[in-house]
Amino acid sequence: MNGSIQKISFHFLLVLAILVCFTPLLPGLLGLLFSAFSYIPALNMQNFSLMGFSELLLWPGLRESILITIFVSLSSTFLSALLAFSILQSCWNKAYWKKLESLLAPILALPHVAFAIGFAFLFTPTGFIARLLNTLFNDFSITHWSLINDPYGLGLILGLTIKEIPFLLFMSIPLLKQLNVNSTLMTAQSLGYSKAQTWQKIILPQWLPKIRFTLFAVMAYSLSVVDVALVIGPTSPATFPVLIWQWLNDPDLATLPKASAGALSLLLMCLVLLYLIRFIEWLTIVKYRSWQTSGRRALPLAGKSALLVTYVISLTPLPLLILWSFAQRWPFPELFPTHWSLRFWQQEWSFLWGIIGNSIFIALISATVALLFAIIIHEHSTRAMADRQRFVVPRLIISIPMLAPQLSILFGIQVATLFIAHQYYYLWVIWAHIFFVFPYVYLVLDGPWRSYDKRLDMIGLSLGMSPFKVWWKIKRPVLLPTLCIAWAVGISVSLAQYLPTLMLAGGRISTLTTEAVALASGQDRRISAIYALLQSLVPFFFYFLAIFASQKTGIIINQSTINKRSIAHHVPDSKESDYY
Amino acid sequence: MKKLITLFSLLLLTTFAQAEDVNWQKIEEKAQSQTVYFYAWGGSQDINNYLRWADKRLQAEYGVTLKHVKVTDISEAITRLVAEKSANKNSNGSIDMVWINGENFKSMKDFNLLTEPFVTNLPNWQYVDKSLPVDSDFAEPTLGLEAPWGVGQLVFIYDKNKVDNPPQSHSEMLVYAKSHPNKLSYPRPPSFHGTSFLKSALIELSENPDALYSPVDDTTFAQITAPLWSYLEDFHQVAWRQGKQFPANSAETLQLLDDGELDLAISFNPNEVFSAQANGLLRDSTTAYALAAGALSNIHFLSIPWNAAAKEGALVAINFLLSPEAQLKKADISVWGDPTVLQSSKVSSSSQKTTLFKSISEPHPSWQIALETEWQKRYGH
Repeated sequence: MNGSIQKISFHFLLVLAILVCFTPLLPGLLGLLFSAFSYIPALNMQNFSLMGFSELLLWPGLRESILITIFVSLSSTFLSALLAFSILQSCWNKAYWKKLESLLAPILALPHVAFAIGFAFLFTPTGFIARLLNTLFNDFSITHWSLINDPYGLGLILGLTIKEIPFLLFMSIPLLKQLNVNSTLMTAQSLGYSKAQTWQKIILPQWLPKIRFTLFAVMAYSLSVVDVALVIGPTSPATFPVLIWQWLNDPDLATLPKASAGALSLLLMCLVLLYLIRFIEWLTIVKYRSWQTSGRRALPLAGKSALLVTYVISLTPLPLLILWSFAQRWPFPELFPTHWSLRFWQQEWSFLWGIIGNSIFIALISATVALLFAIIIHEHSTRAMADRQRFVVPRLIISIPMLAPQLSILFGIQVATLFIAHQYYYLWVIWAHIFFVFPYVYLVLDGPWRSYDKRLDMIGLSLGMSPFKVWWKIKRPVLLPTLCIAWAVGISVSLAQYLPTLMLAGGRISTLTTEAVALASGQDRRISAIYALLQSLVPFFFYFLAIFASQKTGIIINQSTINKRSIAHHVPDSKESDYY
Repeated sequence: MKKLITLFSLLLLTTFAQAEDVNWQKIEEKAQSQTVYFYAWGGSQDINNYLRWADKRLQAEYGVTLKHVKVTDISEAITRLVAEKSANKNSNGSIDMVWINGENFKSMKDFNLLTEPFVTNLPNWQYVDKSLPVDSDFAEPTLGLEAPWGVGQLVFIYDKNKVDNPPQSHSEMLVYAKSHPNKLSYPRPPSFHGTSFLKSALIELSENPDALYSPVDDTTFAQITAPLWSYLEDFHQVAWRQGKQFPANSAETLQLLDDGELDLAISFNPNEVFSAQANGLLRDSTTAYALAAGALSNIHFLSIPWNAAAKEGALVAINFLLSPEAQLKKADISVWGDPTVLQSSKVSSSSQKTTLFKSISEPHPSWQIALETEWQKRYGH
C-alpha cells in the first residue's frame, strides 16, 4: 500500500517536473521559428518567407563575426578544460586541496558581468595594471596596448577561460571523488608510471566523459554569451550573439526576422560545435587511444601557476570594486581614488533591501524546485536505463535552455503568458527561472548520479527497506554534498538571470541583476561597483553555505543511521580518504 | 462577464478621450491610487534619483505611484508591447508610460502601439514653449501622441587646461586630429550618439543638406553622403586607435576624456558636464560647447501605450512632469540639468542658467537607419 502511494506520487512529480521544465520550450521554439521565417502577425508580417535569412547573409561582416565567435568559444573551452585538468593533476589530494575547495566559492560566486567589469578595470589601457606600470616606470607609452575590445577577442578568451576554470574544477570535485584516484595512482605508480603520466593516461580518459556535459555548458555559454562580450569582447565586428542582441534591440521592428534568423543559426552552430567536442573526445579516447599505452611521456603541465593566475585575475577585481564604490573621484593615472565618498552607498541603502529580498526569494524557490525536479528526472532516468525500454528524457532537450539564446526563446514564452494570465508576474518569473536554472542543476548532479555505486541500493533493498527508504537513508546521504552544491549553483544561476526577470515581470520585480545591468549601461563605475559587489556577495554566501555543508556531510557520518558495516564494506578506500 | 466589463470600460474610455472638453478633475479622481509603470532608461543615477523624487511628489499630491522600470534600452519595452499586441492584449497592459523619441517613436507610431492623442488635454500644456519643435520628433509629426519632456543638444566637452582652441566645426576636427593624432573619436554607430555625430557631420559637409529633412531617396543617397565618407576616410586614419575601435557610447567618451585618452567627449545634455564635475566624474576645468554652426537638437518625449492599465495615472504623471515645479527641479544642474521645455517666464531664474545653444534640427528618421547601414558596410568589420 505504502509502496504504491510512493510510486504514484513519484510519477506525479515526474510528470509535473517534465511539464514545468519543458513546456516553455514549445512556445519558445515556435516563437523563434515563426519570427525567423518572418511570420509576426503583430507587425503585419503574415506570410512565411526567408527574408530574415537573406538579410542575415547580406549583412556585411557576418563571416568575420561568426569566425571570431567560433574561435573565441573553441579556444576558451579548450583552454579552460586543459588548465582545469592541469590544476587537478598538480593539486588534487595535496594537503592544501581541502582549503582550495572552499576557496573556490568566492570566484565561482562572482557573476560573469561583475567579473567582466572588474576584468576591464584591470586591463584597459587606463586600468589598474596600466596605472601600476605607469607609476613604476613613469612612462605613458607603456599603456599603449589593449586587451579589452581587441580585434582578435584575446581579452574575451582570457576572461572566459579564467571564469570557467573554477566552474570546471568545482564540477570535477564530486566526479573525482567517485573515481578511485588514490588507488589508481598507487597501482600505476607501482607499475612504474609517474604521477603526471597516471593522470594523463589513466585519469584523463575517465574524467573527460564524465565532465563532457559540463564542457557542453561551457562551450554553449562561451558561444552565446552577450553581457561579458559587450564589456570586454571585440567590437569590429562584434561577436555573433552580440550582433543578434543588437538587432533584437533595434527600434526598427523590421529587423526582428533577421535577429531571429540569427538566433536560430546560433542554435544550430551550437549543436554543430557540441558534436565537434563529442567527436574530439571520441577520437582521443575511443578511436585513437594508442597514446595511452604508447610510452611513458607526459606533458609538463604547470597546474600550480595556472591556479595562481586564475586566483589573482579573479579576485583582484573584488577590492577594485570596493574601492570604486567608495570613490568620489579616481582619475588616471592615480593608483588610488583622490576623493572618497559614502554618498553612493547612502543614496542606495534604503532601496537595496527590497531588491536583495526579491532576488533571494526568487532564487531560493526556483533553485529548490529545480533541484527537486532534477533529482526526480535523474532517478527516473537511472531506472529507465536499467530497464532499457522506458522513456528517457533526452539530454539535448534538457540542455536547450542552456544552449539556445535566451532572448529568442523568451519572446515566445512571453506571448504565451500573455495569452494565459500575464498578471501573475511572480509565478511567471519563477517559472522562467526554474526553466533556465534546471539544466545547470541537472548538470551538477549528472556525474555523481551516474557514478553512484548501485550496489549500495541493492544492499539496502536486500535488507528489506522500501525503495524510498533506501533512497532516503542511503543514496541521499551519499550524494548530499553534491546536492548542496547543486542547490548553490541553482541559486547563483537564478540570481544572474536578467532577461527572464525583465521580460516576464513586466517591470514589477527588480532584482540585483536587473538593477546592475541597467546601471551598467550608464557606465558610472561607482554605482555599478556597488551593485556588482552585492551581486557577488549574495551568491557567495550560498556557495559558502553549500561548501561548508558538503564538507560536514560526508557519507560515513550519515552511516550511523544505517547498517554501518555493510556499507563500509562496499565503499572504496579512496572515498574514505577523500572525506577524511 | 469579465470581458464585457473590459469592453464596456474600453468604450467608456474612448468616448471619454474623444470628448472635446476633457474633464481633468475626473481623470485626477480616477488616477487616485493607481500605479504607473514607467519604462525609462536606467543608466543614469541622476535621472533615477529625479524620478524617485517625482514619485514622492506624485504620491503626496495625487495619490499616484510612479514606478520606474529601469531598462538598458527603451526598445526592450517595445519588444514587450509587440508581444502584448501579438497576444491581442488590448487592455490592462503592463506598461503605462514610456520615455522615447526618434526611431523608437516612429516604430511605436507605425505599429499603432500608442494611445490616442492626449497632449493638448494636459492642463500644463499651456506652459510649454511652442517655439521649440515640440510637435515633431526627428521630423516625424507627433500628432499629440507624445508630450515633450526635455531638450537634448549635441555638445562636445573638453578640458580648458589642456586644449586652448577646441575645433569649431567638423572640418576643424579633422585638422585638429591631424596635428593631435589618436586624440579624437566618436561613439560607434548605431549607438545614439555615434549616429548623431554622423548626422551632424553630414549636415555640415553635404552640399545639399535640405535633402536630409525628407525621407532617404536611394538614388541620391550615395551622392549626398559622398562628402561624409571621404571625410571619415581621412578622419579615421588619425583618430583614436586609427578608427579601428570606437568608444561604445557617450559615457565611455567621458571616461576616456577623464583618462586623458581623448581630447573631446560627446554628450546630448549641455549641462551634463556640471553634474559630472559635481559627481567627481570629470575635472573642474572641463566645459561643454557646441560647434559654431549650432548643435544638433532634439526633444525627448513621454508617451502612453495603447493598452496601458493606468492611463489616467499616466496622464496625471505626465502633466506633473510638465509642471513648472517638476521642470525646474529637472533643469537644476545639481539634479539632472535637463533643459526645460516650458516658456522661460514660467520657470524661475535659477534654471535660466541653462542657456540653449543655437539649434540644428534632426534629419528625417529614415536617415538614421540608412547612415547606420552604410557605416556598418564601410567600417563595421
